[in-house]
Amino acid sequence: MSYKERSIWVSLLALVYIWFNYFGEITSLHLTQQLTVDAVNDLLFDVVILTIFLEVTLQIIIAIIDNKDANYGEDERDKLITLHGSRNAYGLLSIGVFLAVFYTVFPTLSTYVFPTIDLPNAYKVMHLIIVFALAAEIIKFSTQIFYYRRGF
Amino acid sequence: MTKILTNTIRRLRFDHDEMTQKSLSDAVGVSRQTIVAIEKGKYSPSLEVAFKIADVFAIKLEHVFQYQLEDNG
Repeated sequence: MSYKERSIWVSLLALVYIWFNYFGEITSLHLTQQLTVDAVNDLLFDVVILTIFLEVTLQIIIAIIDNKDANYGEDERDKLITLHGSRNAYGLLSIGVFLAVFYTVFPTLSTYVFPTIDLPNAYKVMHLIIVFALAAEIIKFSTQIFYYRRGF
Repeated sequence: MTKILTNTIRRLRFDHDEMTQKSLSDAVGVSRQTIVAIEKGKYSPSLEVAFKIADVFAIKLEHVFQYQLEDNG
């Protein structure tokens, strides 16, 4: 497994772990009727800190393990694979942005979407964007891993 | 009748004192994985990289890469 592929795996696993925990906490707070704006803000702050900590730490570790390849920049094949990943992610992210705009323009939709969640509408829109951005990132990393595995 | 891009990089490396993929990748300026992908025919390099590979072996481009009918046998 190349350094690039290992780096993408680390980013993907860190992303899934962090956001799985976040949505797990959100669900738990919602079920116990303790979901407040302050609780969400605290959880989002934790996500930011954990993302920085995990990404920096894990990327340093794999760079130490594979220090020869870590010094190389991206070559033309890496750039092409990154572009394919970004292209696939862009489609899904566009749908998410469109839905967020639609949701903002038609506030009455909140009675149908997330009806039981007691948060301001701005937070619901934010989570709609987060979910699609998260899915887009997962698709980007998965596409890149697919091309590194299969060959490109 | 499909034409595909093939190459003789593996043979050329062998003929050049069993040059390693790592040495070739360093000389060309790409990663070893990219050389592996090119050798296996899974990645078609840019013209620039193709010329650089030919330059490392000091031969013409068409002796490294061939565009020919797929060998179904």
